[in-house]
Amino acid sequence: MMANRLRTLLTMLGIIIGITSVVLLLAVGDSMKRFIAKELEQLGTNMLFISPGGDRAQQQRMRSGAQPALTIRDAAALDQLPSLAGAAPVLQGGFNLAVGNENATKTVHGVTPAMFKIRGWKVDKGSAFSDADVRAAARMVVIGRKIADQFFYKQDPLGKYIRIENVSFQVVGVLYGEGKQVDGGDLSEYVIVPITAASANLVKVQFPGNVHYVVAQGKSGGNLQDAIQDINETLRDRHHIKIDQPDDFRIDNLASFAETAQKISAGIALLLGLIGAISLVVGGIGIMNIMLVSVTERTREIGIRMAIGAKPRDVLLQFLTEAVVICFVGGIFGILLASGAAAGITATGKFDVIITLRAVIVACGFSSLVGVFFGFYPARRASRLLPVDCLRYE
Amino acid sequence: MSGLLIDIQQVTKSYFSGSVETQVLFGVDLAVPRGDFLAVMGQSGSGKSTLMNIFGCLDQATGGSYFLNGVDTLTLSRNELASIRNRTIGFVFQSFNLIKRMSVAENVALPLIYAGVSRARAHAKALLELERVGLKDMAKRTPNQLSGGQQQRVAIARALVGDPPLILADEPTGNLDTQTSVEIMRSFQQLNQERGITILLVTHEPDIAAYAKRLVRLKDGRVLYDGPSAEGLQQMNAITV
Repeated sequence: MMANRLRTLLTMLGIIIGITSVVLLLAVGDSMKRFIAKELEQLGTNMLFISPGGDRAQQQRMRSGAQPALTIRDAAALDQLPSLAGAAPVLQGGFNLAVGNENATKTVHGVTPAMFKIRGWKVDKGSAFSDADVRAAARMVVIGRKIADQFFYKQDPLGKYIRIENVSFQVVGVLYGEGKQVDGGDLSEYVIVPITAASANLVKVQFPGNVHYVVAQGKSGGNLQDAIQDINETLRDRHHIKIDQPDDFRIDNLASFAETAQKISAGIALLLGLIGAISLVVGGIGIMNIMLVSVTERTREIGIRMAIGAKPRDVLLQFLTEAVVICFVGGIFGILLASGAAAGITATGKFDVIITLRAVIVACGFSSLVGVFFGFYPARRASRLLPVDCLRYE
Repeated sequence: MSGLLIDIQQVTKSYFSGSVETQVLFGVDLAVPRGDFLAVMGQSGSGKSTLMNIFGCLDQATGGSYFLNGVDTLTLSRNELASIRNRTIGFVFQSFNLIKRMSVAENVALPLIYAGVSRARAHAKALLELERVGLKDMAKRTPNQLSGGQQQRVAIARALVGDPPLILADEPTGNLDTQTSVEIMRSFQQLNQERGITILLVTHEPDIAAYAKRLVRLKDGRVLYDGPSAEGLQQMNAITV
């Protein structure tokens, strides 16, 4: 094995590349799962989205002339449910924002203060509006960082006014943080006003008090199914829906989205691992090939060893050990290489790839297994040679 | 256990290549008592190498019986044969057959490693045997760095390291000059006399066979002569002259 360094190295290269790809792809898969989990956590866990209209209810009620609707008061009732940590209504729409000559169209959210608690929004400067402000339909606005930078560059936005659809709203707070939200928007580009102010000045609704949807959060540690049940009963009761009639609302569970997303990312991770495994198998075939050559080349040595007392098992173990050592050492180089590549990817800042201990153990174990698997056939062939034939071999 | 180390009766050996059978040995009888020094002579094709391989448990006879050290070798498995080669027989070959990648000491220690002796003890015993053949200083070298005579002495040390009762030497001087051949043969004589090791030597050179006590001449797979070496060699001379 040592006698032919170049050949050993080239053989090892197959394993190195195989292990590198296994480790790296496992790490990418893992990191992707973590990334998705983190994103989901940021969106909030235990979140339920209640929107007006069930599949069949919509048609039936439309026919009878009534629009399915959720109201601010529905949300307030849900907010009181013991199985919920809170519930808050939302009215939203894209509106023109303007300060002086600067103007842009942004999504404006009309909410109640309960929403700040549910979504975990923190106000960096100033403060959020209060329930009293909501009752008064006060024209107040809390804005994200980017909005603050865009409209009030290097100025303190607090107390200043933003015109939304030509209605002046006073900035009372700036949101802390940034990042994708459940509706696809970025936290730093949020524009948040009291829901009553939105309904009075911006969003057109059929009846005052109607909302687009309600966001509810289950109690942490509580059973989300119980919460869904409670919401269902409360809303059916409030909407006077008879027992044989379908719901006029829909409850979507963010946890089930999360589960789906987790399943998809686990599937992708597995796929990536398989792709890596294929290259490892190719490397293993390389090992088998070179081991067969090595057995032929060393026929005489095998004969000598057998003559002085090596049992077939000893010869088998010798060649098997060589194959496993090549694979194991190749595995270690592969892990080092993958670590380098992972650090490189992480350094680009787009995606954090961390090589976990699990990936390293799996890779080392797997490469040793490849050694045993692909080394076994040549080793067994060596062990079955007859000593007299080996000694005659030139 | 009888006093015989080797007892073969009516041993035959045939090789098959495809459906063609080639018989090499035709019923060879040979009894070798402990402490004997026997030379086997014969021209190429006489079957002496085949007989040697059978003696060394490297090959098995097609027919007849072979008792080595009281054990019927024809009934043994490959593992048991390996074990016999390891403990009972020391091999010395014409082309030395040292493993080139390993140091001299590692080569000598190898039979003990296969016998399950610890590395440290095997190494110590190997150094002792190397000292006996006068090559202790060469222990860390590789075989390629040694002369032919030195390599053959390393091979002898390897053959002796497990203290076997029997040494099989297949043309041990075939690749050596006269001077070195004499040295090697003297050391065989010494081993035979001082340590009581039975030596079986295959050669086609009468000078070398002369060092043995007893001579067996083979011709066409049959024993032509079996007796004291001096007489046997005289007979041969008479024929050739």
